[in-house]
Amino acid sequence: MLITSLVMSLNQLLPVAILLVLLQVYSSQRSTQIIIALILGTAMSFLYMQSAAWVSQWFDHQGLEYTQIGLCIVCFIAVLIFTIKKASTAFYVAICTSMVLYLSNYVIYLTSFWQNSDAGQSLFIGTLLGAGICLSFSVLLYFLMIALTQRFGMLSLLVLLALNSAAKLLVALDLANQIDLITNTITVWDLRDLLSENSELGRVLRALIGYEATPDRISVIIYGLSSVLFLLFCYFIPSSKAKERV
Amino acid sequence: MTRRLFNQCLCLIFFLSFETNATEYFITLKAHLFYPSQITIPANKKVKLIIENQDNTPEEFDSFDLNREKVLYPHRKSIIYIGPLSEGRYEFFGEFSPNTAQGVVIVTNAEVVNANN
Repeated sequence: MLITSLVMSLNQLLPVAILLVLLQVYSSQRSTQIIIALILGTAMSFLYMQSAAWVSQWFDHQGLEYTQIGLCIVCFIAVLIFTIKKASTAFYVAICTSMVLYLSNYVIYLTSFWQNSDAGQSLFIGTLLGAGICLSFSVLLYFLMIALTQRFGMLSLLVLLALNSAAKLLVALDLANQIDLITNTITVWDLRDLLSENSELGRVLRALIGYEATPDRISVIIYGLSSVLFLLFCYFIPSSKAKERV
Repeated sequence: MTRRLFNQCLCLIFFLSFETNATEYFITLKAHLFYPSQITIPANKKVKLIIENQDNTPEEFDSFDLNREKVLYPHRKSIIYIGPLSEGRYEFFGEFSPNTAQGVVIVTNAEVVNANN
């Protein structure tokens, strides 16, 4: 139970922590704004978890997938708007949707197994350890990104933000496949023997840039296209605004 | 090739599925174990997994190989579509009980495939 809690908390907290760090490096938010975003996100995760059983009955038992697809798309758009406009509202929306998307599963796990008399301590320690590892990783990533942006400029950060956001669309695609909304195409490559998604590095890369060992063709196309479009929007929209001002 | 790609993109844009009638396979989750723990499905075909969680606690069906993740609520059925897949082994597990809830999807080109109990 301890190891499961640790792995679960890492899996669910890491994507949120990474997004928070990338947005913070891109445009620093006040600590009060971050705290408000985290509190809002936690509250929304609990609300979503409370209504999850009800929502799951929508659209022929596919309600959860539809809502999660919506959350992924909203998160992608919010990060894009934040990157272009640096709007605080977009920051709140990106963090909250990301937290609802990832944390709600962990909240379900916690609330379900907390009632077991012998599981409470393991859950608590596992969660604490997971949160600690996430925090350490976030601090390291923060200073790494600061160093990278100083050495190579903002492009390195924008590329990482674009890949991280495109990964949300991959999650949406997988969910759409899961409910037969779209059809899987052939697997482009199989890297399971080289780097499994289940490995430590695989999990980190999955949270960071949406690494998939066995992606299908549509996933590769959408991932590539959305990343390029993200970068093009970030490059052209601010420059066109600057021209207008001149 | 280009036409197939165009069709796939069009399908994605309009959120239409190519195939609607998929073969159904039933899996039961009981005492944090999947029954059957191994299912054999045909290659290059979409199939529908109907998973019933008979436990009193929720479970999360998770598979890195299949790129699938779904919470299975207690005493409810959940539906997950997988495939078309190429030949091979695709492991899945229950994320809340990964040591016990484990299973594998065997994808084969053989003509007759059945659930292996």
